[in-house]
Amino acid sequence: MVKKKVPDWLNSSLWATTTSSSSSADDDRLQRYSSKHSIIADTATATEPLDGSPVPVSTPASIREQPPRPSKPEIKIKDKDKDSRNSVSSNINNNEEDNGNSVAGPSAEDISRQAQLLTELSKKVVNIRELRRIASQGIPDGAGIRSKVWKLLLGYLPADRSLWSSELAKKRSQYKHFKEELLINPSEITRRLEKSTVCENDEAKSESSGMLSRSQITHGEHPLSLGKTSIWNQFFQDAEIMEQIDRDVKRTHPDLHFFSGDSSFAKSNQACSEADTFFCFVELLSGFRDHFCQQLDNSVVGIRSTITKLSQLLKEHDEELWRHLEVTTKVNPQFYAFRWITLLLTQEFNFADCLHIWDTLLSDPEGPQETLLRICCAMLILIRRRLLAGDFTSNLKLLQNYPPTNISHLLYVANKLRAQPSG
Amino acid sequence: MVLVLAIGDLHIPHRAADLPPKFKSMLVPGKIQHIICTGNLCIKEVHDYLKSLCPDLHITRGEYDEDSRYPETKTLTIGQFKLGICHGHQVIPWGDLDSLAMLQRQLDVDILIAGHTHQFKAYKHEGGVVINPGSATGAYSSFTYDVNPSFVLMDIDGLRVVVYVYELIDGEVKVDKIDFKKTATTRS
Repeated sequence: MVKKKVPDWLNSSLWATTTSSSSSADDDRLQRYSSKHSIIADTATATEPLDGSPVPVSTPASIREQPPRPSKPEIKIKDKDKDSRNSVSSNINNNEEDNGNSVAGPSAEDISRQAQLLTELSKKVVNIRELRRIASQGIPDGAGIRSKVWKLLLGYLPADRSLWSSELAKKRSQYKHFKEELLINPSEITRRLEKSTVCENDEAKSESSGMLSRSQITHGEHPLSLGKTSIWNQFFQDAEIMEQIDRDVKRTHPDLHFFSGDSSFAKSNQACSEADTFFCFVELLSGFRDHFCQQLDNSVVGIRSTITKLSQLLKEHDEELWRHLEVTTKVNPQFYAFRWITLLLTQEFNFADCLHIWDTLLSDPEGPQETLLRICCAMLILIRRRLLAGDFTSNLKLLQNYPPTNISHLLYVANKLRAQPSG
Repeated sequence: MVLVLAIGDLHIPHRAADLPPKFKSMLVPGKIQHIICTGNLCIKEVHDYLKSLCPDLHITRGEYDEDSRYPETKTLTIGQFKLGICHGHQVIPWGDLDSLAMLQRQLDVDILIAGHTHQFKAYKHEGGVVINPGSATGAYSSFTYDVNPSFVLMDIDGLRVVVYVYELIDGEVKVDKIDFKKTATTRS
């Protein structure tokens, strides 16, 4: 049996992040990413989205392409941040050159892609296939493009532009009805239940004074009920969960101001973007829903099977690494891939990188799941040197804290995995 | 939907050691928005316990309360309703509904919450509604030793109030409710 050799291009220093040279560069980049978040927050106010959905406008776009011009006309940024942004982006450019970034191309490519997208979006009927093709190379930040493109890719907006306003209005009112139907407090529920069983009592008017008659409670429902099926108990538990979510969002993304309801910008957008987000989220997750269902864990569509697919993919493309990880060091893919897959890599990279990855996830014609697996496989391959040198502990630590990476590299490798002929 | 707890006459530590455990397990923080207490706690520890359930606590003075700074009567507005509190030992004859109705008209409230008799009552008259939450610990009263622990939880929702009566009878918690509406025309 011929041992499948790792193709030479994978071993090229261009792709692999080694522990020595580029990690310091990575750290630098990470620092700059975090400093950028404050810029994102400020620039978020400057976008002009189609329907009010907030889009973070940030300069990490400049990191992918190089060298970007010092000031991009399409990004409107508050003046005070312009200088810091410029110096930061020029630093990044130098860094890229040191790394020998082979994603060659002048910034003109970025402008042209933006122009292409804008052209496509302004057509009467958007060609979704064409949109996918352009978007898979990355969507530039700015001018609310990403917001529109994602909505089209997820099928929330129809291809026919003339239907957009009616479709949006319809969906938003639908969402409003959902809220009214599902978010009733227990007081209201009790009242409705009673209306159906007892007709409105007129006795309130008839007896002017006297002892008020006591009546039985229905289904043992009372506000202090601790029963698991009690609507009151569920209501209070839901309220607690919502508070928890609110706290977690503030804790994990304190810099993203559009999450907090405080700014006036946030409030004005909340109504529309909440409905849009809901439907887009439903659409996005419809393909991944089975990963979250415990009963399906061991089935063909469950999370275990998907993780196995990732394993197979790795074995196909890089058997040496696969063997070292799963057999030699016994790093069960569940330990790291579970979070990668269920959260669509949002916990592994910073916000700006996630946007870039999701551009590809959503636009790839193979579908989000296949694309996700290829990206995960690429993530493993990119750090193969470190993994091959590590034992269980260090590998697990590395995979659960994936080092910052050049996302364009990552996506390029992931793309190549598709082109590889299977074994 | 506003939940208001009406509770009183605990007489801790003189006549009772603590609330019944079954009541304590139901009274958890985070569910109740206001507490109205008729008085006779009697000590600060009970005050602190009630405060831990809900920060918005309104108490009137009972004749055995150690803290003499509680007011004799209190009024507050919750939603569409005006509520009045008084321990009740000041109103004679004790427990007399007509006398209580006079106090209610004086305070000009829709709902008067008064205690002292350690017996749950909910009474409607032209001036409004009088509610006596009873004694939450089942402490003996000036009248009798035969007292069932009880308290009241009101769900105020617009012009409608649902009064949930919690009583401990033979070791079991029994819950009843009373529904009444405030007609918009009465009381300005």
